[in-house]
Amino acid sequence: MLNMLCRLLALLAFSTVLCGGPAVAEMTKSLNINGTTGLIDMPSGEAQDDAAFTFSTALVGPLTRATISFQFSERLSGSFRFSTFRDWDTLFPGESSKLNDRSFDIRYLLLKESAYLPSVTVGLIDFTGQGLLSSEYVAATKSFGDRVKVTAGLGWGRLGTDGSIGQPFGDRPALATSDFGKPSIDQWFRGDAAPFAGVEVKLTDRWTFKGEYSSDAYLLEDDERGIIERDSPFNFGFEYQKGQNTRYGIYSLYGTEVGFVFHLILDPKNRATGGVMGAAPVAVKARPPRSADPEAYDGDWVTQADAGPLLRRNLAKRLAVDGIIVENLAFTASTVQIRIRNTRIDAGAQAVGRTARALSHVMPASVEVFEIVPVVNGIGASKVSIRRSDLEQLEYAADNSTLLRDHVTITDAGPVPANAVGDDGLYPKFRWSLRPAFRMSEPLKGDLGLRLSASYDIRPGLVVAGSIYGRVVGNVDRSGDPSSSVLPHVRSDSARYAKFGDPALEQLTLAWFARPAPDFYSRVTVGYLERMHAGISGEVLWKPVDSRLAMGVELNYTKQRDTDGQLGFGEYDYDIVTGHVSAYYDFGNGYLGQLDVGKYLAGDIGATMSIDRVFVNGWRVGAFATVTDASAEDFGEGGFDKGIRFTVPLNWALGNQSTRNFGATLRPSTGDGGARLEVDGRLYDSIRDYHSDALDPEWGRVWR
Amino acid sequence: MGQGVAVKFRAGLAVAAISVALLPGCGSEKSEGSPLGQAVGAVAKSTIGMVTARSKGTVVAAPAPVTRADLEKFGLPILRARVAARGADAFVTMADTKGNVVTWATTDGSTFTLRDGVLIQTRGLGPDLMSAQAPSLADLQADGGTHRRIYYFLGEDDQPTRRTYDCTVFITGGETIEVFSRAHRVKRVTETCVRPQGAITNEFWIEGAAIRKSRQLASGGVGFIEFERVID
Repeated sequence: MLNMLCRLLALLAFSTVLCGGPAVAEMTKSLNINGTTGLIDMPSGEAQDDAAFTFSTALVGPLTRATISFQFSERLSGSFRFSTFRDWDTLFPGESSKLNDRSFDIRYLLLKESAYLPSVTVGLIDFTGQGLLSSEYVAATKSFGDRVKVTAGLGWGRLGTDGSIGQPFGDRPALATSDFGKPSIDQWFRGDAAPFAGVEVKLTDRWTFKGEYSSDAYLLEDDERGIIERDSPFNFGFEYQKGQNTRYGIYSLYGTEVGFVFHLILDPKNRATGGVMGAAPVAVKARPPRSADPEAYDGDWVTQADAGPLLRRNLAKRLAVDGIIVENLAFTASTVQIRIRNTRIDAGAQAVGRTARALSHVMPASVEVFEIVPVVNGIGASKVSIRRSDLEQLEYAADNSTLLRDHVTITDAGPVPANAVGDDGLYPKFRWSLRPAFRMSEPLKGDLGLRLSASYDIRPGLVVAGSIYGRVVGNVDRSGDPSSSVLPHVRSDSARYAKFGDPALEQLTLAWFARPAPDFYSRVTVGYLERMHAGISGEVLWKPVDSRLAMGVELNYTKQRDTDGQLGFGEYDYDIVTGHVSAYYDFGNGYLGQLDVGKYLAGDIGATMSIDRVFVNGWRVGAFATVTDASAEDFGEGGFDKGIRFTVPLNWALGNQSTRNFGATLRPSTGDGGARLEVDGRLYDSIRDYHSDALDPEWGRVWR
Repeated sequence: MGQGVAVKFRAGLAVAAISVALLPGCGSEKSEGSPLGQAVGAVAKSTIGMVTARSKGTVVAAPAPVTRADLEKFGLPILRARVAARGADAFVTMADTKGNVVTWATTDGSTFTLRDGVLIQTRGLGPDLMSAQAPSLADLQADGGTHRRIYYFLGEDDQPTRRTYDCTVFITGGETIEVFSRAHRVKRVTETCVRPQGAITNEFWIEGAAIRKSRQLASGGVGFIEFERVID
């Protein structure tokens, strides 16, 4: 148990045992106690390196701030913060002793630093919450040599509360309670503005000194709540950089407090292992030249009765080492089509390459065309056609992946050939696993439990699957209190579901996946679809293999499940038809957008916009927002549904062959408005993996 | 940042993350790395037990007790490959031969592909050399000759990375080297390659018409590999 807890901690922080290395020569773009680029409490004018994903935890007396930040593009970054104010009842005995708050920040690098000009950033802090940390700023940072950086800025909101120079853009209206959770546009850059400044001095490769003059008077914490005494605007302290990935800080804050911070800095672009690990492939088997051995090219072997099963068995054996399962095999004297299920390799291109190599060993010499069809959920996702002679000729050519791609076609998978040697019990139809599962609900909240999952393939594309989850440890809300939401409690009773259904049947479904027509994919799922809802869900997706655009329609009829995690529906007596029309677009360079318009679980109608950045290695970070006709008052705290999500492939850190991920969706508040059914096996993400927009960026791995 | 440091750091991160992925679990499907497969014979299994793969330090430990007689008993060609950045030292055997291109494999899933002794590909090392436009053996025997060399690495971002160099060959007279306690009369060939961002030097010790020993760049991440043809 203790051992497991330790591992959970390792999971949460991803690492505190990193080996140290000397810091890089140029000064790090450091982070502040708010987990954003900056000094100590103040922001700076810089941005993190593109794609930097950081996790920061700060402790200042009664304040805790845990922040996830992501440099979404070179200039744009966003942060999600979970703050706790302890001793909240100091001046108000009887009130709750703790206040939790969640906030979003966004910042944009206006100007990059040059020889004479500083870097300049404009940013919004807590721009869509209840305003406890709300502020806006413009900050400039200039470095002098490779050891000194100076920052100066102008702040509004909290950052304009000490040493105001006036109100350049007029009054700052108070934030109405009804506007909590909406972008607080009327407040931005209004009210008192105050300057702040700071300096950062690199003492050694690992140690940095920071000092700042803060324009935040801490009115909320000092004057209103009496939990922090602010005696001085000056903060100073030291930071220690350990390796490229961790940074620690200790500071004197506002003359009275000592602050600690820990930053974990990850680079999703680059593998922690330095490169794709995993065993080498077998060499392509060269056929004898036709002139030397014309008989080898004779196609008579196709008439042998046992040719199919024999070839299929040999291929299955060769591909098993890479976790590739042969769904079926069809061939003529000159062409082979193999349908594969890739269970371990994280890049489709590499799975295709490994399959082609195996075919070169097993198929008789007369077979010239290899058609490889990756199968997802029992349906063909695409067809990659490779000429065997290209494979033979390009194996050792310079720039072999580019050359091979020029000769390969990726097309619609098409139907299963009539002569396919299929499913004869050679692959396991029944699969199960019992694994620890970590469910993260906020930057410092989640629970760790055990998940027992099993599935059975009745035939390709027709699957029965189920899972049971039991919690072991965690700190999510298990009060069992019903929510006060005025909407149907389609999501907000999570504390009841957490308390009364442990362990709980998460899912028990029958899913049918099919290809109704070229470029069309379909799914029907019936049963206990998710923890809170059960029913039937149907989806059709249109996605040509070489198209950046995809369109989908989904229709669901569901009833709300009991909180006890069993099979009943007596508790809520709630059923609803929901559905969406979705458009998906691949903007290139790893940016994917999605727009869903339709009816949500509480009966509200609206739209969800999301944008994700995906990396070739499988990292994915994104944000979403849903606006529906449910009023902000009805939605409750937060006003509308929004959040961030991320997925970290385990093999990015480990290098082993695995398609397992760690991921989470984090919301500032979970309301009943804008809630969508959670159903496994949605078509777009699984299908897209084998379409050219996903295969091409990772094509360099085809020869891996 | 030096190679050793990079590898060291990554080993550290990997160790940390292993504690995540190896959370105890069981089931009908495994997701651990696959074995290399069938390419390597018994000889490698018996000798490559000595491969040292250490995450710390860059000093390569010599495999202690094996003698030339031990290796000769197998009656197979054997190449010794040392990857300093990986702290690895292995005797490897042929897994595949196509004309003048030979792929040598370790038992732990790495391969080195050489054309007439000139490295053109690696696999299983992480930031691998995926392909290369490399000089022929004849190019390396022309003193003062020039050629273009292009490396195609698989970078740590999973993207093919191309590095193009202009190279010049220098031959410095004959010398005698010792390879696994046997003396060989060789001529030393230095291939100096430059590009705007920097220069690298590959070294070859050529005996007659074959490369006996070499030190060649594999990739930016892996660094140089030292090869010795121990048993012909």
